[in-house]
Amino acid sequence: MGPHRTSRRDFLNAGSAGFLGLTLSGYLRAAANNKVAEKAKANSVILFWLEGGPSHIDTWDPKPNSNFKPILTNVAGIRISELLPKMARRMDKFALVRSMHTRGTDHPQATHYAITGHEINPAMQFPSFGSIITKEMGPRNAVPPYVLAPKWDRSRQYEDYFRAAFLGGEYDPMCIPDPSRPGFAVTDLSLPKSVSKMAVESRSAFLNVVDKHYRALNETAEHTNMDAYSAQAWNMILTPAVRDAFDLSKESEKMKERYGKDSVGQSCLLARRLVEAGSRFVTAAGYHGNSWDTHSDNDKGHRDRLAPPLDRTLTALVEDLDERGLLDTTLVVAMGEFGRTPAINPNLGRDHWPNCWSLALAGGGIKAGQVVGSSDDHGYNVAERVVSMGDLYATVYKALGVDWTKEIMSPIGRPIKIANSLGDTTGEPVKELLA
Amino acid sequence: MKLLLTFLILPLAVAAGERFVSLKTAPAEVVLSGPRATQQFLAIATDAAGTERDVTGESQWVVSNPALASLDGARLKAAADGRLTVTAAYSGLKGQSNVRMEGTQVPRPVGFTREITAIFTKRGCNSTACHGGVKGRGGFKLSNNALYPKDDYEWIVKGGGYQVLTNEVKGERIPRIDLKHPENSLLLRKPAMQTPHGGGKRLEADSEDYRTMIEWIRAGAPYGAGQGTQPRLVNLEVYPPMAVMPDAGRRGLLVTARFSDGHTEDFTHQVLYTSNDSEVATVNADGIISARRKGETAILIRAAGHVASAGVGVIGPVIADYPAVPRANFIDGYVFAKLKKFQIVPSGLSSDSEFLRRVCLDLAGALPPPKRARQFLASKDPNKREKVVDALIASPEFVDYWTFRFADIFRVSIFSNGLSSKFSEGYWEWIRNNVETNRPYDEVARERISAEGYSPASRHFLPYNQIGPPGEVMAEEVRVFFGRRLDCAQCHNHPYENWSQDQFWGMAAFFSRLFKMGPVVFDHPTNMDLSSKDVDGKIELLHPRTKAVVKPALLDHSPLEPAPDGNPRKALAAWMTAQPYFAEAAVNRIWGLFFARGIVEPVDDFRSTNPPTHPELLAALAKDFRGHHYDLRHLMKTIVMSRTYQLSYVPNATNREDVVNYSRSLPRALDAEVLLDAVADVTGVPETFPTAVTEGSSVGQAPEGTRAVQLRDPDTFFSRFLEIYGRSNRGAIPERNGKPNLSQALHMLAGDTYAGRLGANNGRLARLLASGASDTEIVDEFYLAALSRLPAPGERNEILNILSRRGGREAGLKEFVWALLSSREFAENH
Repeated sequence: MGPHRTSRRDFLNAGSAGFLGLTLSGYLRAAANNKVAEKAKANSVILFWLEGGPSHIDTWDPKPNSNFKPILTNVAGIRISELLPKMARRMDKFALVRSMHTRGTDHPQATHYAITGHEINPAMQFPSFGSIITKEMGPRNAVPPYVLAPKWDRSRQYEDYFRAAFLGGEYDPMCIPDPSRPGFAVTDLSLPKSVSKMAVESRSAFLNVVDKHYRALNETAEHTNMDAYSAQAWNMILTPAVRDAFDLSKESEKMKERYGKDSVGQSCLLARRLVEAGSRFVTAAGYHGNSWDTHSDNDKGHRDRLAPPLDRTLTALVEDLDERGLLDTTLVVAMGEFGRTPAINPNLGRDHWPNCWSLALAGGGIKAGQVVGSSDDHGYNVAERVVSMGDLYATVYKALGVDWTKEIMSPIGRPIKIANSLGDTTGEPVKELLA
Repeated sequence: MKLLLTFLILPLAVAAGERFVSLKTAPAEVVLSGPRATQQFLAIATDAAGTERDVTGESQWVVSNPALASLDGARLKAAADGRLTVTAAYSGLKGQSNVRMEGTQVPRPVGFTREITAIFTKRGCNSTACHGGVKGRGGFKLSNNALYPKDDYEWIVKGGGYQVLTNEVKGERIPRIDLKHPENSLLLRKPAMQTPHGGGKRLEADSEDYRTMIEWIRAGAPYGAGQGTQPRLVNLEVYPPMAVMPDAGRRGLLVTARFSDGHTEDFTHQVLYTSNDSEVATVNADGIISARRKGETAILIRAAGHVASAGVGVIGPVIADYPAVPRANFIDGYVFAKLKKFQIVPSGLSSDSEFLRRVCLDLAGALPPPKRARQFLASKDPNKREKVVDALIASPEFVDYWTFRFADIFRVSIFSNGLSSKFSEGYWEWIRNNVETNRPYDEVARERISAEGYSPASRHFLPYNQIGPPGEVMAEEVRVFFGRRLDCAQCHNHPYENWSQDQFWGMAAFFSRLFKMGPVVFDHPTNMDLSSKDVDGKIELLHPRTKAVVKPALLDHSPLEPAPDGNPRKALAAWMTAQPYFAEAAVNRIWGLFFARGIVEPVDDFRSTNPPTHPELLAALAKDFRGHHYDLRHLMKTIVMSRTYQLSYVPNATNREDVVNYSRSLPRALDAEVLLDAVADVTGVPETFPTAVTEGSSVGQAPEGTRAVQLRDPDTFFSRFLEIYGRSNRGAIPERNGKPNLSQALHMLAGDTYAGRLGANNGRLARLLASGASDTEIVDEFYLAALSRLPAPGERNEILNILSRRGGREAGLKEFVWALLSSREFAENH
């Protein structure tokens, strides 16, 4: 019959070298077709996701109305909160944006906005930033290009925001369990022990018989796609490098401790392994359950529970990438969905504040050792240089060599800006940030 | 391939003239009115089999009285009032049209609404890609296809730039015409490229259109001659409405504009033609279609705010012995008539196995158990198909399955229904009760649209426990019950449709008084102030651009003045369910679930630019649905009892490529929930669903034996399988696409859904082994369970051979079951 059946038979019946060769060349072709501007430095992104929204005035934008003192950093003129001492010693590796101005006053709305650049619309689902980057950049080395760890225990709602929507399942993130849990393993990436080599061969032989009649009559594009995915799945399952990328036991105890042996630390360590192996976009979402949502006891939460792991892990991640020569090609974004109110509430907490907040960037061609934008005296509003979510996206796209002005068509023919900014405009790269 | 039918195929290139039996001209009768009136004619030759061919270009055209009018090819130009005939002659055949001309001497100055906007449309100036885009282009905005000529006129004669989110004019207002020096008008200099123009050269300075425009400016750029009395364009008519032609054939279209005073004009050369699929057919500026390859598409025709379409079918070779196909009900009449026209022969009737599996999956979301399959296959009862349909429609599985389907469309989820499982469950139970009692669908719709208080149906107004913005709430009701997507019109006039921003907000205003106090949903009275901590009391809806207060108005612009303390949505619900749109959208949605594509596809995207594949069928189904009091079960039975539904999936030489005409059953992937239930049924190992947590940290689980389609909302119970196969979170109206992905492939190879079940010691395989069944019996039983058929003798032998070569009986059988579950025949409904 048609060509795809031939290749499928080859794949199922040939020795492993044969079909691995076949699919790898497919990858190489895909990689060759993927045009990335030569000037672009970055080829992958790590999103260090600070779920719940850190208080900007207690972290990267110290103010008199914070109960924490500003401290000097290794970059003259830049001060950050005393809660981030490790970062302060490495400020030359980071760029801060203190003038983020975004939408969404509650977690779902703001998270959706931060992850897709669009406000929630019940008429359609928007593809995530990570999905678009995955599509634009293409896979590398048979490693899943888009990974999220850990996935949420309680609700799939946030996970859905990270999905590809109409772009298609191949750009969905692979969502994996908490890498800091004992016995962490990525499901479906290795054959069950009960399945021997012989079993694999006999499964294939049976499948050929069972499917022969039906597929001879019905050759559809879906079948061809499924065959391609099956080939890719075999490739992943049988390629040690892919399994290794997810295998944190290959890291030394010292390295694990450097990142922190909690969910925050280990998900960033895994992100580094994945990016090193070939992933394009990894979300390290160790701060789960709206961790940063300090509506009560803000100071205690930030001091005891939240800022120390951020300080430790973010610094370790950037240092480690730097030591491995990966910092130039890996763009790190550390942010939540909004900041927190500059005024303290009756529960000694701080509430949601999308008006003006801060984030940190490093690597991937970002000009480090600087602050972009500023807030007013108490951190209520942007004083200089509003940066929108679309501007941030445009900056990251540009660093990756992706055309940020692109619009993609939704299934009903509505053009969707990939860098959607305020007031229905396209975001502009923050030129100060790009080296 | 003995399964494929063979047909006698006739060579199409018949020597011209030998086989044509008649020639006709179109239009046969026509009145040309007004100065400069023209009429395009077509000559159509018909052969003995009734096949038509456009021979306009090859015919000799003669006019009976050259003093009254002249002919340019087949286009008549009126010069004086009177009567004449136009005759076409082709290979010995003649066709004739009668023409009357009137008002040829009545002067008529060029007007904006008529001549000028027509040029904008025809030249593509006001297309969505150019100035007709949402924001215009290069600072100059025109309404798409001259939908809003008043606005266009303002931007031209007053100047200035349009802004999407406000009514304010951007920039300085410099007119785009120059009355003193017409030739200096930007409106001419730009398209003629005398001034740099981003859109390139669009107009030659010596063209007729250029002359028309300059004449209009010289005349003072009037909006319209005799404004107010001038007849309005009512609609566009296309001939032929469906052009059927052979591969590489050509065929002309005639477009007639009908005006409010009853007169018609030939618009064939004044409209913009676009092909929906230029792989199948292209169309030129004069409306001549060229067939490119076998298939079907539509030609869209745009003129001054109106859109019409003509279907195009590019057919294969003519089949000499086209078989008679039996018809079971009215559905078949429409479907098979079109197939014959397109020279596509439908597949044969499905086998009993095919039918049983398909109808069980489609009506009850479940595979027939092997015992039931054996009974059905063995039965000699000529009415066994109808009996099984009746049994399925009366089954509890039917209720489960259709509750699941409507829970999807109506969006049952904790997040969408007030952030409480109490609310989402109540809403789900309301849906289930409606399905169980087969409540008329119009009643269901009315209750949902006008729901209030604490009622379960009102819970869908509470995403994240808040009342959504009026525009979004309205757009969702319109999409669900009208199958139309108004969303685009929220921020701007719809780019392709006749939906204006004003219409959008008029409809939205029905929901603008919707408030909640605690969990109680109510319509804020306009004559009282209920402001409180919960209710902000701002009950006026302001138009986002004009900032004027918007009053509720129906899509047909008729305003409704709801009582100040009433529920305005009741009137809206009554109006909506009485519209033809309502029944059409409902039957199309249900049809789509049985055929893997709607008559309009996507099922909730009705637009004039997305025409139905079978308009008469859609209308007939809607009429039948209304006539049976919106009875969904009756509709479903009508569908599954048609021969169209019962055709085999096995293609023949003529219908292999067809995916839109229902000439065979189109295989489609099972949806996540149905597939998981099928895997559980075949293996005999039910799924357990842990409560709202990922694997490994369960705090509870759904009752044993719960099926995936019985899960009430996507948030309470976790299932990796369902995630991987695309269960919807119902955050938006789900659009399931059944597309494969890498995670599915990985899961199939290594996932516990398969591996765990094959290893289970209480499943179907373990039971069969314990019963002492032979290999043949086990293989047959699994074939029946998974595919509702027995293996063909050859298949069975091959499987038994592999088993015996493999050794290790139990391990071998598990591998066989894995293969069965991994096959496409299993994973699809066909």
